[in-house]
Amino acid sequence: MSYQVESSAPAREERLKAGIAFGGTCRELKCSMNKGGCLNAANRSFSQTYGCQFTLSLGILNTIRNAVVIMHGPIGCGFCSTATIGTGKFYKRLRDPQANGTIWLSTNLDESAVIGGGEESLRKTVLFADKEYRPETIIVVSSCVPALIGDDVDGIVQSLQSDVAAKLVPVNCEGFKTKVMATAYDAAYNGIMKKLVNPYGEWRKLTESDKDNIDRDYRISRKVNIFNVGSMSRQDEVELERLLKALGLEVTFLPCYSEPDDFSISLEAALNVSICGTHDDYYLQFLKENFGIPYIIDTIPIGRKNTDRWILKIAEFFHLEDEAKSLIEKENEILNKSLDTFREILKGKKVFIGGGEVRILSTAEVLQDFNMEIVGLKGHHIDKFVEPIFESLENIDDVSINIATQHPFEQANIVRKIKPDVIVIHTGGNNISAKHGLPILPLYGPSYNYMGYTGVFEIGRRLARVVKNYQFNKNIKKYRPLPFKESWYEKNPYTYIKEN
Amino acid sequence: MGKYVDRPRYGCALGGALSLLRAIPRAIPIIHSSTGCGYNVYNGINAGAAYLGGGYCGGAALPSSNIIERNVVFGGEDRLAEQVEKTIEIMDGDIYVIVTGCMVEMIGDDIYSVAREFEENDKPVIPVSTPSFQGNSYTGYDMVFSALVKEYVEAEEEKKVCKVNVIGIVPGEDVFYKGNLKEIKRILGLIGIDSNTFVGEGETLDNFKGAGNASLTIVLSDVYGVETAKVFEEIHKIPYLLTGLPIGYLQVENFLYEVGEALNIDNEVIEKALEAEKETYFDYFERITDIYNDIDLQRYGIVVADANYAPSVSRFISDELGWLPQLAMITDFLTEDQKSRLESRFENYDSELKPLVKFDTDASAVKKYIRELWPADQNERYYDALGPGFILGSVIERDFADEFNYPLLSIAFPVTNRVIFNRSYAGINGALTLTEDIFSLLVAGR
Repeated sequence: MSYQVESSAPAREERLKAGIAFGGTCRELKCSMNKGGCLNAANRSFSQTYGCQFTLSLGILNTIRNAVVIMHGPIGCGFCSTATIGTGKFYKRLRDPQANGTIWLSTNLDESAVIGGGEESLRKTVLFADKEYRPETIIVVSSCVPALIGDDVDGIVQSLQSDVAAKLVPVNCEGFKTKVMATAYDAAYNGIMKKLVNPYGEWRKLTESDKDNIDRDYRISRKVNIFNVGSMSRQDEVELERLLKALGLEVTFLPCYSEPDDFSISLEAALNVSICGTHDDYYLQFLKENFGIPYIIDTIPIGRKNTDRWILKIAEFFHLEDEAKSLIEKENEILNKSLDTFREILKGKKVFIGGGEVRILSTAEVLQDFNMEIVGLKGHHIDKFVEPIFESLENIDDVSINIATQHPFEQANIVRKIKPDVIVIHTGGNNISAKHGLPILPLYGPSYNYMGYTGVFEIGRRLARVVKNYQFNKNIKKYRPLPFKESWYEKNPYTYIKEN
Repeated sequence: MGKYVDRPRYGCALGGALSLLRAIPRAIPIIHSSTGCGYNVYNGINAGAAYLGGGYCGGAALPSSNIIERNVVFGGEDRLAEQVEKTIEIMDGDIYVIVTGCMVEMIGDDIYSVAREFEENDKPVIPVSTPSFQGNSYTGYDMVFSALVKEYVEAEEEKKVCKVNVIGIVPGEDVFYKGNLKEIKRILGLIGIDSNTFVGEGETLDNFKGAGNASLTIVLSDVYGVETAKVFEEIHKIPYLLTGLPIGYLQVENFLYEVGEALNIDNEVIEKALEAEKETYFDYFERITDIYNDIDLQRYGIVVADANYAPSVSRFISDELGWLPQLAMITDFLTEDQKSRLESRFENYDSELKPLVKFDTDASAVKKYIRELWPADQNERYYDALGPGFILGSVIERDFADEFNYPLLSIAFPVTNRVIFNRSYAGINGALTLTEDIFSLLVAGR
């Protein structure tokens, strides 16, 4: 291979100056972002748990087909995979009806490994995985402990490669290395970059006619790789594919639910397009530098304006603006009318939105489209990728925004002060969010459509249903208390954010 | 050196620690570790324990010091002290328990000295070292439980004759823990025993505080809770009895006589109590005698479960359901002593059968043992296949079940395909429910 890949992905607080602790209005946030620096250093004197690099990278790695994932660490690292035993297989089978569920192994590092190193444990696990399952690839994900005991995982993997049939992919993502959990995506891509990106492209026939050649070159000149995210659904992909196919483009989705070879095959494409800037900039930049594939990272296709913009950006690249404009116009015309019944139900309702930076702001655009009032936002972290999405929002400058990865204690305080009618939120903290006693719509879901034009309709349809009856959460609020002391609610919600 | 595990059915020690704390009302865990440990464990337990949820202070609400590289280099004690102070300020609890992840143990943070700074706090702050390279969820349960026995259970010289402490069922890892404890409490109540199950319905921290006056600890396990029982014996002078988890009328009979003997309860009292139970139990069983015999509902039984369920369920399907127990695979980490103790649980079945007993942690092993116990089809004209079969296992056995076309009832962690509240599989009522669930699967298509 002609290119060099660093042994592990840099933390995003360094690479992107991402921040995880902020409280104020959107205007204040934009100002601090322009200044840079201080936002990046802030942290909390009281913190709550959230995903680490390791757990989050599994969101991509556990979806790769024909793979075995090895959790290189003590027995608990990767335990979260339990939650996707059933769904993981189901979603894989939407892409390949024969696909296996996720097979994962733990190297189960114990006290003797902590003292003597984890190399032998890893070696045995890799050999077992290869012999037992004969996968195309074995992905070795290493946690905090191997990093602390100084295991040279890349080296071990390199030396094992000749003993196994599977392609070995080391992914270094020790949790303590970063407080920005989205660094996980870079870690997963870093492993993919190191081992799965081989520039052979599609398999060629032994003999090809000139016409075959021309056909293929034409196809490649129209081929777009779309970089999907684990939090989106197959329905989302179908919708985005529909829109780009309408422009005459050919579409492939990566990296989630891909087959290991897909990373090489995808090198023969005209353009790489990101769905969510939080996920792919590290990898797309790599593909551009080493394989000359241009990329677009702009907005996420959630909401009408964002979807319009996303399609237009892609169309501009292929000089298909006129076709795109006519498509966008038609799509909007039909969709707009169909939203009226939901607007009637949702108009004026105050909404609090929490989750990933890109998702919350784009979802805010959808909710503004329903004439709802955005009263509070909470983003996992903040970096430059939100800028284009801010542009799609109206009257947002005075809205409160909290940058906090999960941290439901700040949310509880804020929600009590701003009194929303509806909450749209990320998973994981709903034992707390439910106790606000309000209707809740999940911010994302791998079995629902949120993206493209149909996604807007689906969000409206579901939200209009959710607000009709929220007795479940009302009763929970009434009978099950939140764990915060009353005195907490009297304080400023950002009391525990500190400059470090 | 630990062996790899193919799809583990447990989390780490921190996982077991957090599951136990999740089960204690108003207990606030403080995790000293990197950001992801609490969240990872919550995701595993929530789904694996049939949607247990984060409860009062679990899930993303778990206080956690979230140490980063700088702390790993310079030590995380200051960060922990800050986190404990602020947790007490914000979180409304009756006990604060510091639990640890691997990296702070490896860098040598002294959580005990940090906890001492909070000795004056009106609610106790108890540190427990729970490094995950020392064990899995079951170990973590014992680590926290025995720390509470040492630090929190009040000393009582005077013991109450008929009061027992019941332990050995790990919340979450035993998906049916609450229902099981309720049923065990009911059964013991039949012979006049007042039992403290610590994390059962209506029980609170006071059940921990007042546990020192029991006259016996019943460990419903051969493995889990044994360390805690030893601490009860050492510090509170309470002897213990390892009973296993009784499932079905016959096992309950043995269980009650065993406990009765330890507490000098008259056999007549036990006989009388069993008389009524037997009547109710077999009255229900009688209902399925028709369909059982009408359509032949005997099955080859394959049990893949933990050290509590595997022996009891195997015996139950053999001696009460009249099935043929083929394989019992116990999926825990076990010492040789523990293994031989568990082996003895498979002796002397009334049916005179004995399953192949295997100790193996790997999902892929089940199929190999089936091959070991049953001859493969050599393309004979007449092949005596291992069927009809039935699997009592976890959702990890789903692929195996699909391949062999056996029904699967998920009884052991992880159980991601069911929602479980107060359902029990232990004792007498639990065995009735287990029988309902098993036979419901067999008639589901009718």
